[in-house]
Amino acid sequence: MKRILTLALVVLMAITTVFANGAKETPAAEKTNTLTVWAWDPNFNIPALLEAEKIYQQKNPDFKLNIVENPSKDIEVKFVTADQAGDYSTLPDIFLMQDNSYQKFIANYPGIFTTLDGSGINFSDFAAGKLAMSTAGGKHYGVPFDNGAVIMPIRTDIIAQAGLTVDDFNGVTWSTFFENATKVKKVTGIDMLTTSGGSEIVLMILQSAGASPYVNGKVNIENNKVLEEAIGIYARLIKEGLMTDYTDWDQYIASFNTGKAAGLIQGNWIISSITAAADQSGKWAVVPLPKLDGVAGATNYSNSGGASWAVSSSCRNKELAFDFLKTTLGSNTDLYDTLLVNNGVITTYMPAAKSARYQDNVEFFGGQKVYSDIVSYANGVPECDFGSYYNDIRSALTDAITNVVQKGADIKAEMKKAQEAVEFAIGG
Amino acid sequence: MIRKKGLIVTYIVLITASFLSVFPLYYMLCGATNTSIDIIRGRLIPGTYLIENFKTLMDNQNLPLALWNSVRNSVVVTFLTLLVCSIAGYGFEIYHDKYKDSLMSVLLVAMMLPFVATIVPLFKLFSKLHLINSVAALILPTVSTPFMIMMFRQAARSFPHDIIEASRLEGLGEIRIFFTMFIPVMRSTYGAAATVTFMNAWNSYLWPKIIFQSNESITMPMLVANLKGGYFVDYGMLMLGVLICTLPTAIIFLALQKSFANGITGAIK
Repeated sequence: MKRILTLALVVLMAITTVFANGAKETPAAEKTNTLTVWAWDPNFNIPALLEAEKIYQQKNPDFKLNIVENPSKDIEVKFVTADQAGDYSTLPDIFLMQDNSYQKFIANYPGIFTTLDGSGINFSDFAAGKLAMSTAGGKHYGVPFDNGAVIMPIRTDIIAQAGLTVDDFNGVTWSTFFENATKVKKVTGIDMLTTSGGSEIVLMILQSAGASPYVNGKVNIENNKVLEEAIGIYARLIKEGLMTDYTDWDQYIASFNTGKAAGLIQGNWIISSITAAADQSGKWAVVPLPKLDGVAGATNYSNSGGASWAVSSSCRNKELAFDFLKTTLGSNTDLYDTLLVNNGVITTYMPAAKSARYQDNVEFFGGQKVYSDIVSYANGVPECDFGSYYNDIRSALTDAITNVVQKGADIKAEMKKAQEAVEFAIGG
Repeated sequence: MIRKKGLIVTYIVLITASFLSVFPLYYMLCGATNTSIDIIRGRLIPGTYLIENFKTLMDNQNLPLALWNSVRNSVVVTFLTLLVCSIAGYGFEIYHDKYKDSLMSVLLVAMMLPFVATIVPLFKLFSKLHLINSVAALILPTVSTPFMIMMFRQAARSFPHDIIEASRLEGLGEIRIFFTMFIPVMRSTYGAAATVTFMNAWNSYLWPKIIFQSNESITMPMLVANLKGGYFVDYGMLMLGVLICTLPTAIIFLALQKSFANGITGAIK
């Protein structure tokens, strides 16, 4: 009997632990002057929040941020679950969302956002291409954060072996790029480029000419001449051995850290991974990606990645959230200076980009004024409409280019298939 | 000669299989002691960077809290699952009712339903019960799993009914028979069930991620996911995080290895 009693007590204790814990936790955001924020990078956007909190505390000493770390994909899963269950009470006050996901979430889960038009933030101070990603129907849903301008970092020591300099790759067209890349490959045996993620690079080329894959509410893949050209460039890079596409992201990072490639085309957030190889300091330079030949509206500039801050519909203190964003991430140039120096955050807030810090020479890139160069690239990015379907388009195009490269499939036929796949995925 | 050849083939297959299963563990151990850039460059010998990686990990994440939460959640889940499922399995096998087989079939069908499909209704349910962000919401959906009930029912099948009859004649109540006769005899089944349940509870990610809303509820798998969530990944810190996350399940498995094997093959010899 004693044994049974002991066991019953243990069970009771376990159950009490379980439920007591449930009752104990109350959301911190219910307290006044505290905002709960979801973000994901302890070296990038979370320090930005901490710094912004410090600045806002000068104006409002009782103010506090309750920062919850969640990987970006998990934030999206939590939103979808909350929306489908019809319970927004679990949402944070402010959250960070990947720019590529914005349009999809605004279209499919509009209930999670609060529009920021009444926040007093001057949105015209942000780079237009970036701002468009979190804007829908003329309404603003996000405060742009990091800059996603595409860069082409190249190894100056490797191209020098082929008798080339940075100028041979700076602001060039794809035809010039192919000429020079072939020379590099011939002399050194090293790939000119490395990539991961299949169609991502194709989409970057597409955006560099502003050739939207979604026009007037319709998918524009099948007859998109620029897209045909972009896929052609990708196929040529692979076929001529000038670029390797790694399916695994870690292998991709390793490829440029170990000198298996003389360059890459990627959003500028890749810089932290490049500079991780400290022994390569002074051997890199940053140029914009090549421009399409003979295409009207073609530029050397594109965008990839980046994120923006949003206020949720269930924000417990919207006035405070608006004022916090407006005072810090929406207007404070000193904040952006600190973030550039400490965390390598390159802004899309144009007044901040004019500060002296952005003119610094960066030793790792041979003394180049990398930050101001990247900001100037960002200002030249043409607008490109992916509708709400960036990920659907990306996945259909990855299938298309895989078939083109591996099976020798016809580009036009694959584009038709991709058009059908995206139309099917979006139900029309 | 043929036997020798066969032996060589056996050894080659076994060595390859062992290498394939041990190498990732070795790689993880080496990684935890090297710098991020060394790991990326493919260094395969242990380094001297363990303490630095540990310091970075501690600076970056709340490791003690994640460990404590994972241990607490897994232990409570394992304890309650074993209790609930073994009582259910025992009941299914020992007592007779004409509907019990139909009920078991319903349970088995439930086993085919992936957990992901039930997430939204479960979230709705717990939100109505005001249990979101509580350990109860984490534990309740997992304490009764069709698989465990089936496992205990199968095991109870081999439990000698004579013992139950004899105990009843001796005047033991049904509850006491279960606790004093069944549990001690079925120790190895409990061992096997504990290993499987603990591992599942330790590794569970999606459901805890959805119902927990604060940093205070972080578990080890969430901590590892955070290490890979940023633009720049410190692979040394990541490998150490993964290593620390793997250790408890490895220890539990090694400790219960014997009963695990016995429990899977049958508790009664």
